[in-house]
Amino acid sequence: MRKELLTMPMHCLFAWGVLACAVGLLQGAALASTADHSQFKGLQQDFKSGSAVTKICLECHTKAAGEVMASKHWSWEWPDPHSKKMLGKQNVLTSFSLGIQSNNPVCSVCHVGYGWKDNNFDFTAQENVDCLVCHDTTGTYRKQSGMAGHPPVVAMEFPPGSGNVVKPVDLKEVAQNVGKSSRDNCGACHFYGGGGDGVKHGDLDSSLAAPEKDVDVHMNALGLDFSCTECHKTTRHQVAGSRYALTATDVHGALMRGSKDDRNPSTCQACHGNASHKLARLNRHADKLACQTCHIPQYARGGIATKLTWDWSAAGRKDKDGQPLVEKDANGHVVYDAKKGSFTYGENMVPDYFWFNGKVDHLTVSDKIDPTNSVPLNRFYGSPADGASRIWPFKVMRATQPYDKVHMTMLKAHTTGNDEDSYGKSFDWHKAVTRGMQDAGKPFSGQMGFVETEMSWPITHMVAPKEQALSCVACHGAESRLAKVPGIHLPGHHAHGWLDKLGWGLAWLTLLGVIVHGAGRAFTSRKGARK
Amino acid sequence: MKSHFSILSGITLGLLALSFAGEAADGDWKRGRVYYRFVCTDCHKGGSSEIPPNSRSMAEWKAYFQADKHEKGKTSLKYYVSKAFRESIKAKNQAAAKFIDVPEDQLMKDIEAFAIRGAKDGDAPATCN
Repeated sequence: MRKELLTMPMHCLFAWGVLACAVGLLQGAALASTADHSQFKGLQQDFKSGSAVTKICLECHTKAAGEVMASKHWSWEWPDPHSKKMLGKQNVLTSFSLGIQSNNPVCSVCHVGYGWKDNNFDFTAQENVDCLVCHDTTGTYRKQSGMAGHPPVVAMEFPPGSGNVVKPVDLKEVAQNVGKSSRDNCGACHFYGGGGDGVKHGDLDSSLAAPEKDVDVHMNALGLDFSCTECHKTTRHQVAGSRYALTATDVHGALMRGSKDDRNPSTCQACHGNASHKLARLNRHADKLACQTCHIPQYARGGIATKLTWDWSAAGRKDKDGQPLVEKDANGHVVYDAKKGSFTYGENMVPDYFWFNGKVDHLTVSDKIDPTNSVPLNRFYGSPADGASRIWPFKVMRATQPYDKVHMTMLKAHTTGNDEDSYGKSFDWHKAVTRGMQDAGKPFSGQMGFVETEMSWPITHMVAPKEQALSCVACHGAESRLAKVPGIHLPGHHAHGWLDKLGWGLAWLTLLGVIVHGAGRAFTSRKGARK
Repeated sequence: MKSHFSILSGITLGLLALSFAGEAADGDWKRGRVYYRFVCTDCHKGGSSEIPPNSRSMAEWKAYFQADKHEKGKTSLKYYVSKAFRESIKAKNQAAAKFIDVPEDQLMKDIEAFAIRGAKDGDAPATCN
């Protein structure tokens, strides 16, 4: 055969080569994989549950479930090496949710598993791992809120009695079309954190699914078109770049492709290095500033508002007919919901700026609080003097939420569901908190109040094109963004009248001295010439 | 030798035909989304001229693409996906430039796939955003 190919007329060989290349390219473009999952017999069946699909996946991908089970996406726990506390979604508090334990059927819509409805969930059962939520390429897979992480497999009215019919997911179609995770997979949860589009993070919302260059220069749908995993490099289902383990300062420069280095690959420097500006003066700014500080001038820039405040204590109002009140603003944002409280939103927000050295502490319901001041739900450590800190941009979320007046701890509450303990049903905080703390296995004194809280969210997405990075005057002008950041002198901003007068005075005196000296020299030289 | 060459060519042509068939069978809704967002909404923006995918049902979108009528029949919908149209706007529209080599039929299927997916009764109702 090989000999015969060699003896083929050249034009035939060329034509064959062109055709073969065309086939290869087209097949490659169409499948983008070496396996066509629709050809697998195990996937040619009508699945009745997500777990049934997982069992088939694991017949070939034998280690995949074990790897997922070792991740935060599965356990929702993270042991913090600094504080030695167990963090993760199971343990930390946010302004957006009053704890997951008693709200699992709803929260599990974003768990990478099936069936986590209460504390009896089996974290060791591999068939409970949800492969499809991260690997669906059809865009039709979705988990239904309130179903403990399960996708609907039959048409159903949800919530019951609402008249809203939820379409079933064709699991066979989805299973036969699995592929690499895309922005749409990650975004299905991360764009909608906190209960709505863009609500939580401020720099993550659905505008990043197919963004313009102005919204994010890396994810620009018509340019670099980065998927999330371009930066959040994933090995054995462990996704790099968690907000629990941020790298505040990366001094190592660009990370070589294929390097076995175990440093965080999601930093800016991991691609751009530490001296990427043409101007040395700008590179020197990196000694004090995170890249994000100049290159993300505002967050929530994609036309989708982010929540800025949430007052849980305002919940419970009803209209004149006794129905729970829901109010929207002119832009259609829900600004009041009787089941949740009141909210404010913002777009194109200027971040707050703090020193940050990589150490973060998160509050849990076991930690004591001081209710006479606003309670920080997390704390980003840093100092101008430690050499390890950089000034970072943050979204600061402010809320009012329940605390225990006797134990001086924050409280979890059962806010979702249709049972009598749920705040959304009973509008009784005492019931909701009693159940929430009971499910969390924590004590509740029976006396509660509301306290103001603050939670900081680092801003690191929505990187603008370089032309839109902050200009010098944004920090060095009279109205400096960094005016409240301690420990730095900002030439141009930190001006002192007397110092300026002294400086100009010295400059004028110097000039006067030069003129007088020059005149003297001129006079004496003329005099000498006459002699 | 001739028989081997015939077999080789036959297999290759068969695979090529299959690959085209595969391409044409399904629309790439992600590519359709980008075209919809960056080309269609370049004109259809603001107020009543905006046509978000979730403003119509799946059946309405299917009928719309089937009818191939733009501006109530004044022009053909296919024209706005044609290579000639993309050539005419590629200097100022990056999406038209990016997809300049995508076959017209395929690109139409991509846009239809996105519109049906984003329909008000679709799998993921979508706005223009």
